Amino acid sequence: MAGTGTAHLRAPGDVLLRVEDLVVEFPAGRSGLKVHAVSNISLDVKEGETLGLVGESGCGKSTTGKAIMQLPPPKSGQVLFEGRDMAKLSGEEQRRTRTAMKMIFQDPISSLNPRRKVEDIIAEGLRIWKVGSAPEQQTKIDDMMLAVGLDPVLQRGRRPHQFSGGQCQRISIARAVITEPKLIICDEPVSALDVSVQAQILNLLEEMKTRYGLTLIFIAHDLAVVKNVSDRVVVMYLGKICEVGSPDVIYQQPAHPYTRVLLDAIPVPDPSVRPEARAKVIGEIPSPVAPPSGCRFRTRCPKAQARCADEEPKIQEIQPGQFVACHFPLAAGETLPTRNGSSPLA
Amino acid sequence: MSRRKRGAAPGTDRFADTPLDGSLLEVDEVKTQFKTPRGLVHAVDGVSFNLERGKTIGIVGESGCGKSVLSRSIMGLLPRNAVRQGSVTFEGREIGKATGNAMRRYWGTQMAMVFQDPMTSLNPVMRVGNQIMESLRFHFDVTKDYAEETALALLTSVGIPEAERRLREYPHQLSGGMRQRVMIAIALACGPKLLFADEPTTALDVTVQAQILDLLQQQQRERFMAMVLVTHDLGVVAGRTDDIAVMYAGRVVERAPTRSLFENTRHPYTEALLKSIPKLGQPSHSKLDAIAGRPPDLVSPPPGCKFAARCPYAQAKCITDEPKLVDAEIPGHAFRCFFPVGSQAGVEALARNLAAGETATGLPVRMEGEAVLTGITV
Repeated sequence: MAGTGTAHLRAPGDVLLRVEDLVVEFPAGRSGLKVHAVSNISLDVKEGETLGLVGESGCGKSTTGKAIMQLPPPKSGQVLFEGRDMAKLSGEEQRRTRTAMKMIFQDPISSLNPRRKVEDIIAEGLRIWKVGSAPEQQTKIDDMMLAVGLDPVLQRGRRPHQFSGGQCQRISIARAVITEPKLIICDEPVSALDVSVQAQILNLLEEMKTRYGLTLIFIAHDLAVVKNVSDRVVVMYLGKICEVGSPDVIYQQPAHPYTRVLLDAIPVPDPSVRPEARAKVIGEIPSPVAPPSGCRFRTRCPKAQARCADEEPKIQEIQPGQFVACHFPLAAGETLPTRNGSSPLA
Repeated sequence: MSRRKRGAAPGTDRFADTPLDGSLLEVDEVKTQFKTPRGLVHAVDGVSFNLERGKTIGIVGESGCGKSVLSRSIMGLLPRNAVRQGSVTFEGREIGKATGNAMRRYWGTQMAMVFQDPMTSLNPVMRVGNQIMESLRFHFDVTKDYAEETALALLTSVGIPEAERRLREYPHQLSGGMRQRVMIAIALACGPKLLFADEPTTALDVTVQAQILDLLQQQQRERFMAMVLVTHDLGVVAGRTDDIAVMYAGRVVERAPTRSLFENTRHPYTEALLKSIPKLGQPSHSKLDAIAGRPPDLVSPPPGCKFAARCPYAQAKCITDEPKLVDAEIPGHAFRCFFPVGSQAGVEALARNLAAGETATGLPVRMEGEAVLTGITV
């Protein structure tokens, strides 16, 4: 993986958000070294679409989401929202644009102010922008609470600690949707929840999307979750894009070895599937301070060759709608060698 | 420092006197309650199971169903405000009433635990190597050099590269997956016969999760250890356990050999848990069968079946009477339900509820395609 290129981008006129060659770097302490969190990522989202961003911790998926919001602004690269370059907007213009772009965070409890009442948390956007009169705002808050499955009469005066994790995530969703944004960036919204609650929140997000005509960027490490909600999936590894395509194609015919590994790592609730017989990767994600040369996945890739170290693969279309950044993409039905059971470092 | 050493060095024939089959752990009607300002919390309410040597049991349920408290009750790792009842027999000896002091003989050498969060369960100011050697030097009469060699061998066996260097590092220098490997090395140090793994992979990435679960399974086979694998994800236990107990509101609602649990699911809660997992095989944007509502408050659990309020099969009887754990046709399979999934009674109960549009507890139910949806969906 670990590829660059823009072959997978669509015509600029068709998309709500277009990100080109995004680079985000952080200083690594006082060492003078840099953490290459995101390196030349390009992606785009059509209006009404859900884009899934998937990868392991440290692959830069959350950083990408935050860089789109200019939190903090990327080191280089363009973020075009409705055709306007976010980086070139003045502070005030950027602030106004943020009503149209919202975020939902991973930990529902710590992302809500524990000292405020739920109705005030949800209403904050309305109050800042002085949308409607006080009674109009109240009606809107109550409608929004009902829409996310909370009882406004009983629960509007409560504080976040009186709610479960799933309910707190409902409050976060209400807070994001109330200013009628166009785009919501959901950063691992269900990773901290139980499977049963996860299903409730995923269903709710789908319903809110239809009802309010939202466009979503859905960030998660679980490919099964991403597949369920997305129209297009971007698989990331160590700050680069591996594969882009529709979720059903990626699931049936993953072309990048890393996608195959991610798919095989998902635990299947079926006792006849022997987990030790599935494709595994060696070790863990390398440090983004000194990423490997060439293809960044080569250090863990079972198919890696000398070429992968020298030359970085470019994103190319291997069949209509499926793009991959790999010198040796998997053929249809090709499986990766499995390591027999035991030690992943054998 | 004169510390009383207990027992011979690891590697000598400690297992000579113990049989290789038969029951290792018997848990009988264990009840654990916590005294809180709100009242008595019935966290574990009458759980029984047997675990044979070298076998794995999975304990599955949502947060707050008592699965972690159960494993801590067995190990005797409960806070002061807890009240424990019932009997726990380990190798034929009753340890259900044992105090912390008496349990020290068991911790590490007989049973050990791997916790969920490897960052907070490792000591941040102690080198990894010393943390592994600590229990070795406490329990066995071994020299420092011997303990160090053993720690090195353990770190290598749990798949840590450059183990010699890692021995001298601190937990913050390791990644999450590495820390969990260190936790496993610590737990295995004194060769326990029983390993509790309490959500060992919940804090980890999917790829690392698969590695850690493989490692646990490999170590368990090589050492002929019994294992209790606690998790909220049925996918995690499916290919890796011999038996599974599904817990809800402090009780076991279904207990079965793994294959039978998935193939002949009888309890509506097990069915609901299975259905709520997003499947890769489903087309995108398919509606998930979520479980409506949340588990009951364990201070004052409802009479009758604890799952009734969230169950699409619930009938009037479920609100008043609590079902007993009854045996299914398959040996070893038991469940706690009046209207089990797949039975005549269950099919009729569901059909009645669908026709009425709601269950006896007032939970709305409807069909949407193949799926039975419960609760108010917005």
